[in-house]
Amino acid sequence: MRLCVENMKKQTNIPMLVLTLSLIAGIAAALLGWVYLLTADPIAAALQEKTNAALSEVLPAFDNRPADETVTRGDVKFYVARKDGQITGFAGETVTPKGYNGDVTVLAGLTPDGAVTTVLVTQQAETPGLGTVVTDRKRQKTLSGLIKGACQIGLPPNPVLDQFNGMKAEVKQTPWAVKKDGGQLDAVTGATITSRAVGGAVFTIAETFANQRETLMEESNR
Amino acid sequence: MSIYKEFTKGLMSENPVFILLLGMCPTLAVTNNAVNGLGMGIATLFVLLGSNIVISMIRHLIPKKVRIPCYIVVIASFVTIVDLLMQAYAPRALYEALGIFVPLIVVNCIVLGRAEAFASKNGTVASIADALGMGFGFTLALLLLGGAREFLASGSLFQIKLIEGWSQDFMLMGQAPGAFILLGIFLGLINLANMRKAKKEGRDYAPPGLECRQCNLCNLGEKEG
Repeated sequence: MRLCVENMKKQTNIPMLVLTLSLIAGIAAALLGWVYLLTADPIAAALQEKTNAALSEVLPAFDNRPADETVTRGDVKFYVARKDGQITGFAGETVTPKGYNGDVTVLAGLTPDGAVTTVLVTQQAETPGLGTVVTDRKRQKTLSGLIKGACQIGLPPNPVLDQFNGMKAEVKQTPWAVKKDGGQLDAVTGATITSRAVGGAVFTIAETFANQRETLMEESNR
Repeated sequence: MSIYKEFTKGLMSENPVFILLLGMCPTLAVTNNAVNGLGMGIATLFVLLGSNIVISMIRHLIPKKVRIPCYIVVIASFVTIVDLLMQAYAPRALYEALGIFVPLIVVNCIVLGRAEAFASKNGTVASIADALGMGFGFTLALLLLGGAREFLASGSLFQIKLIEGWSQDFMLMGQAPGAFILLGIFLGLINLANMRKAKKEGRDYAPPGLECRQCNLCNLGEKEG
């Protein structure tokens, strides 16, 4: 062993260097492959769980697996929720590139006749403290609340996202717009672009549903 | 130096963030709250531990001419492993908050720095002590900075509101400029404390990184004069 090490130190020929480096890289690659195989399932499960958690927030009670029952219409991916075989609602998911800092992913729950029930923003990179006021539903934990052991359940409210509740798009309707653009939607001061993006995304979901309602129902009843 | 000293030097006298000023990119970018700082620190600690162990074990087998590529391969492997494990088992919100900065641990100066400066010259046990010391020192610094920024920005710590009724966030502290300002204040205070201590003991104090061998200002002066 010692001799071998001494030899290695003396040798500066390129094949030796290449051999050592490829050996180390090969071992590293094998190790990474093994870890990848080990973690592939837990990662898929974690992603699935995230989708499921978001879906159960926006959908009414269901007993199927909405994440496995998806129908794509245009830019919107619809998840179908059923209970005892009856359709109880839909969830539409769409990505809008109109955020202040890249894509904003919006998930909206819909009743079978197309009224919005709940809106969630599942992915965004908006400015903390401005854009995130529009997108985040965050329960604030306080020290006194923790001491009292207060336990709040349900989805934390967000006035900007909650204003869509009960809204319904008709076929060929003019898009909803924020007040600044002459529309009806409330926006957060300093985060008009984010408010616009979220409003536009919810409208896309509602309008796509209104336009495609028949075919959607048909396809999901099969 | 004893094993204990190898461990404690990373915490205080050679703290990677406050004294060596290494790994500034994650330090400034992810410390917007205490949880993110802690998560990033622990991820770096694992990479540092793994790479120090492996490199100290194979240090006699690595030809000197290709040692840096070899270190990078080892470090990159550990970073990928940590990234995969975090995707699988860490809370999703934490993983998403750290985002690109987990893969970027590969280029973190501390990890390569410790491999080159310590693990390639010392035994495995000493390297483990060194990695733990440096890793905990880094975690501590990130936690301190993250906690201070979170508290100053919104009056909360670990996402729990300590000062109730603080409804408007002080956004400067939550964003990049706040990180620079606060890190500068921390560094200033630490230098001040070290300077006082050195004065009391009657020796000269040079801020780290400004020792004679790195700074050639006086040589320049001689040439000009």
